[in-house]
Amino acid sequence: MTTTHTPTIHLRGVQRTFASPDPEVGEVRAVDGIDLDIRPGEIVALLGPNGAGKTTTLDMVLGFTEPTAGAITVFGLAPQEAVLSGRVAAVLQTGGLLRDLTVRETVELVASTHPNPDSVDGVIDRAGLGAIQQQRVQSCSGGEQQRLRFALALLGDPDLLVLDEPTTGMDVAARHEFWASMRAEAEKGRTIVFATHYLQEAEDFAQRTVLMANGRIVADGPTDEVRRHAAGRRLSARVADGRIDEVLAEIADLPIVRSAVIERDRLVVETNDSDEIARLLLGTLGGSDLEIEAASLETAFIQLTRTGGAS
Amino acid sequence: MTATTLKETITTESVRTGLRLNTTYYRLELRRIMRDKVTLFFTVGLPAVMYVIFGASPDYGDEPIRDGNVAMWIMIAMAAYGAVSATTGIGGSAAIERMQGWTRQLGLTPMRPAEFVAVKAATAMTVAAAPILIVFAIGALTGASAPLHVWVLSALVLVVGAMTFALYGLGFGLAFRSEAAVSAAGGALVVMAFFGNIFIPLNGWQLLVAKFTPLYGYVSLARRPLTGGNTIDPETGDLIPEPLWQVLANVSFWTIAFAMLTMVLVQKGRGRQ
Repeated sequence: MTTTHTPTIHLRGVQRTFASPDPEVGEVRAVDGIDLDIRPGEIVALLGPNGAGKTTTLDMVLGFTEPTAGAITVFGLAPQEAVLSGRVAAVLQTGGLLRDLTVRETVELVASTHPNPDSVDGVIDRAGLGAIQQQRVQSCSGGEQQRLRFALALLGDPDLLVLDEPTTGMDVAARHEFWASMRAEAEKGRTIVFATHYLQEAEDFAQRTVLMANGRIVADGPTDEVRRHAAGRRLSARVADGRIDEVLAEIADLPIVRSAVIERDRLVVETNDSDEIARLLLGTLGGSDLEIEAASLETAFIQLTRTGGAS
Repeated sequence: MTATTLKETITTESVRTGLRLNTTYYRLELRRIMRDKVTLFFTVGLPAVMYVIFGASPDYGDEPIRDGNVAMWIMIAMAAYGAVSATTGIGGSAAIERMQGWTRQLGLTPMRPAEFVAVKAATAMTVAAAPILIVFAIGALTGASAPLHVWVLSALVLVVGAMTFALYGLGFGLAFRSEAAVSAAGGALVVMAFFGNIFIPLNGWQLLVAKFTPLYGYVSLARRPLTGGNTIDPETGDLIPEPLWQVLANVSFWTIAFAMLTMVLVQKGRGRQ
């Protein structure tokens, strides 16, 4: 049993560097000093663009890679010991299956490595694999293989479930179905940590989101708070001739504005509070022809890393 | 339920003894091998056919070697070729599995690396035994002859010695990291078998070179119960004494070389992940 004082995952000052294949680059710092505590029962999204260090972080939590510096414990144990104890399970991003086995045989095989596995039939059922259990892994679709990996993770009845971009290669329907089965598992009180580069998945599923970029944590908090940081809006409007510089100066000074520039005689504003800016622009500032669009997550990442992060 | 009780007993047993053979995994490994009909033909069918052509059919098969005959001498060689083809394939497929992330998947289970090695070793022993048993059975029916202890000792040396080539297949696969490389490792066995005095009896300088190649020590050791520690001059049929240390040195050298190569490559692969 875990006491409430022991975090499920505990990272302090964790760094990981790799030798770059390009000798001129030298070392690449994939993870650059991370502090993170995840408590029992939390559902946490690790959100970030490709190359943010999400996979490397999860690999260290699972004991596949050792940190270059810093300390990691999982259930108060060294990561590899925690995995051997059977309390940790993970859904890997790709690979990790034998193509010439059937779906059911794969589940049976992995079940045999656990001292007290869940029933093979039960797990196949929960992962929605019943109809394809006699199919060879090589003839399964990407989504089906991912459900199989999910089934394998459930076999040991883990307290902590780690998922590295679990819905990669799934279509919308498969994605929906996958998160539905995940939700059922979350209700059993498991701690769940998943990496994703879809903001939507973090919003739909995680109470807490840790935003990563360039090997660092740039935001960490309840998902809707992080989303406000991450997903601002971009407004653009035409402003009466001659007034544009004056309006720009006024807008740029507002604390809710992240950036304001002139692009081809239109004023372009990035903000967390699009309603307020829209009101101002169309009202006292005399703007017209207003357009509002969601800022892309990538823009937000760049913004957050440039400003050194927020939380 | 008796099944549950039995399972619990086995589990408790395994906790106490530390290591058990995972029979489910072992059974599934054998099933995978049975599915691969092409490889199965090359490891079991081909050596049997070659024995029939080169050992059982020709007249020289009846020529005596001590208490046995030449057919027996050829039979042991063909069984050796089948056994090392089989274990090379097992080693190579383990390298491919590692490349495809299966080792990572198992790294997420409570299974310890020693248990994995035990399953692979048991599988390799079993697949090595298959061509040996079949070629020996055909030999027994088609005129290979020797005292019983020669059959038993040769078969034992063949099964155990074939394990060296599981390391060879694993090392080859880890070094070149592709399925084609593993096939190439199997192909290279043909060349090694020629220089290992397996397909054609060698003499002169060819025999001298052969003594340094990986398959030579293995097959010479397996033939030793028959030849009593001699090589055979293919021209005259004379027995030429060969010191035991030469054969053992060959087997030890190559086993250690393949094992070290594999260890270095596994370490290197870990750094890359």
